[in-house]
Amino acid sequence: MKLTEEMKDALKPVGMGGCVVHLTTCNLEGVCNTVGERFVAHFQDEFILIADMFAQKTKVNLNENPVGVITIAHPVKGRTWAFRGPCTVIQWGHPDEYDFHGAKAGDVLREWGNWSEKEPPSEVPPDIRPPVLVQRGVITLKVDEIYSWGPSEAGRSIL
Amino acid sequence: MITLTPRMKNWLEKMGAHIGTADKKGFPTVIVVETAKVEGGGTVLFKLTAAQLAQVRANIEENPFVALGPGGLACIRAPYQYKGPAKIKESVLEVQVTEIYCTKPGPEAAARLDILPKEDMIKFDDTRWRDVGPPQ
Repeated sequence: MKLTEEMKDALKPVGMGGCVVHLTTCNLEGVCNTVGERFVAHFQDEFILIADMFAQKTKVNLNENPVGVITIAHPVKGRTWAFRGPCTVIQWGHPDEYDFHGAKAGDVLREWGNWSEKEPPSEVPPDIRPPVLVQRGVITLKVDEIYSWGPSEAGRSIL
Repeated sequence: MITLTPRMKNWLEKMGAHIGTADKKGFPTVIVVETAKVEGGGTVLFKLTAAQLAQVRANIEENPFVALGPGGLACIRAPYQYKGPAKIKESVLEVQVTEIYCTKPGPEAAARLDILPKEDMIKFDDTRWRDVGPPQ
């Protein structure tokens, strides 16, 4: 499912006009994990990327249950979107040709594999900026479905 | 029985949470409720709309365990994750928090906090943040 230009504009770090998102994954028994993420971007027309920096439980979940939901968290500004679809971690060491629903590992890693250099967290106040940023890979979600999380219309399909 | 710190309570009540639910096979659905009420120290109540109830009722009935990611600015300034079993009473989702994790990016990400004595969890919160809740 193709993201709109408005959605692509939202899927950027806060300092660039975007927003912090929550990424929800779960294990095979359905125990969820919901965590905020600053390093977010769109990739081509149908993918959302998040830097894998401290994603410990997320990775365990995605290894056994490769699906996720990304929700816009802050600032919302009317962008009450939830994006759901297959999700994995494309990691350094994957061959360039490794293909996740049409996203090639080499293309993702070359563009987004060193995120803190590409989009340094300069807008993040010192008290919440991590002292060291070490990236192992790129969490990659293929958008299959977009729904509204707006309370009065929760679950309504968008697009 | 877990007691949230006063700061956790203040942020959760004012900003609500992104509530991660899933069916028994692990297919997730997230709803967002923009305010909450904390009762008895560790029970978080969310008033759901009809649309939200329709979206998550089946998940909660077959798999009551949910995750709460703080909403709005709290996702940055109060980066904790709360987990526990939930039930729906009329139109209120009642979450009994049984696990609390730090999600602040860095070496403490994923650290479990509810295993600490109550005063140590308060100290953890107080020594990392200067506020006692969201700005008015």
